[in-house]
Amino acid sequence: MARNLRIRVDHNVCVGNAMCETFAPNVFRLNDDRQSEAIDPAGDSEEKILEAAENCPVSAITVEDADTGEQLFP
Amino acid sequence: MGIALQDDMFTPEVIADPYAYYGRLRDQDPVHWNEKYEFWVVTRHDDLVWLTRHHELFSSAVFKNDPRPPYPAIDESDLGLYDYVRNYQGDQFIQHDRPDHLDMRKVVHGYFTPKSLEEWRPFVRKAVKHLLDAVEEKGRMDVMRDLATPLPVLVIAAMMGVPEADRPYIRQLAEKLLYIGRGEYDRMKPLTEGMKGMIEYVSPLVDERIANPGDDFISVLASGEKQGAFTRHQVLVNTSLLLLAGHETTINLLCNGTLSFIQHPDQWAKLKKDPEGAAKLATEECLRYDSPVKSIQRIATQDVEMRGKTLKKDDRVRWFISSANRDPDMFRNPDSFDITRWPNQHVAFGSGIHHCLGATLARVEGQEVFKALAERFPGFRVENEALEYQPSITFRSLKSLPVHWQ
Repeated sequence: MARNLRIRVDHNVCVGNAMCETFAPNVFRLNDDRQSEAIDPAGDSEEKILEAAENCPVSAITVEDADTGEQLFP
Repeated sequence: MGIALQDDMFTPEVIADPYAYYGRLRDQDPVHWNEKYEFWVVTRHDDLVWLTRHHELFSSAVFKNDPRPPYPAIDESDLGLYDYVRNYQGDQFIQHDRPDHLDMRKVVHGYFTPKSLEEWRPFVRKAVKHLLDAVEEKGRMDVMRDLATPLPVLVIAAMMGVPEADRPYIRQLAEKLLYIGRGEYDRMKPLTEGMKGMIEYVSPLVDERIANPGDDFISVLASGEKQGAFTRHQVLVNTSLLLLAGHETTINLLCNGTLSFIQHPDQWAKLKKDPEGAAKLATEECLRYDSPVKSIQRIATQDVEMRGKTLKKDDRVRWFISSANRDPDMFRNPDSFDITRWPNQHVAFGSGIHHCLGATLARVEGQEVFKALAERFPGFRVENEALEYQPSITFRSLKSLPVHWQ
């Protein structure tokens, strides 16, 4: 059973590089300003989500276990 | 239009102080048609962000998709050389649009993530220490020659697994490649010499890594050929590109940043109080305040409306980082150098899908250099007040930065 994730994208730093969308296309979507938003934290596997976070060139993405608050990335 | 703005961007005044000139454009005519060189000049921060994030409207294939002769004009007998330049530049991954750009970027992207580059920090720190050890006793250095150039060349050469003895030769070729952003009538000769020299230099290295892949960055590029993302010529051109881009812009960050600290003793004092703690935000402010890259070009893929102007399909569009990073609508006191500024949404690395691949590497090198300078030196004085910049509209490059301390 996959755990529940809380995903945040810091819009003070997101530059719309869109790599997150490439790695986890069902979780991340660019908004009208072309900045990333986590639209569905369960859209892709945890592995894909962490890969997306790691490939963010400006470290804008944080991922936590929604139930325990444990930080999974960075 | 009736706006009295002169359109020559290569005058000594504009090269010396781009901020006054582009600031005037930003205030008076933020989407400006430059009559002299026939391209649009975009200078506001919000417009630059919008433009770079709408990559479907503005193509990065600025050589392939542009049939016009180069600007400023070149010697007519050099048009054959220009074809070589177009073909060479056109194979750089940064000069591609989606979907090809994404396939190409994916080959190299993972090597440059913040997490993987953190592993290079100790190497960078040690290299900075060695370079500063060599000059500390002397009481003076040329920041460009003794620190800002050797450091990034050393780092990118180590990443690429390039022999140590070749570094001066790489730098020599790189200096020829920098003619790309300049205005000299006869610039095609040194430029193509640099390009041909690079291809010749990297060819045997690439052959070797294709036969025996390692964990170096040339092997990563070469793997792109096996995946079908790159042709062999593209592997060669992109290896050359990353050798160049991996250091040239960082040289400017290190020199321009050091100069900003010299010109703002209060901010230097702030950095000295807590070098480790302050270096991160300070580096961002150096990137904003006197950005390594001044401007980049796109080609409109269709008619686009911007601020009441119509940019026609195929028009050249140049966006100016140097003015966007001083936009008062984005930054409070934009002309102040404030190393605690946060948030600092500068666009020194561009924005959108083409956001600089090497941004984190430049950041790590900047942070380590500014920290080490503040830890080791009381302060610097410039030897010669008349600092000169390269006559480029692309790069904000000092010719040298001789300083002393004591």
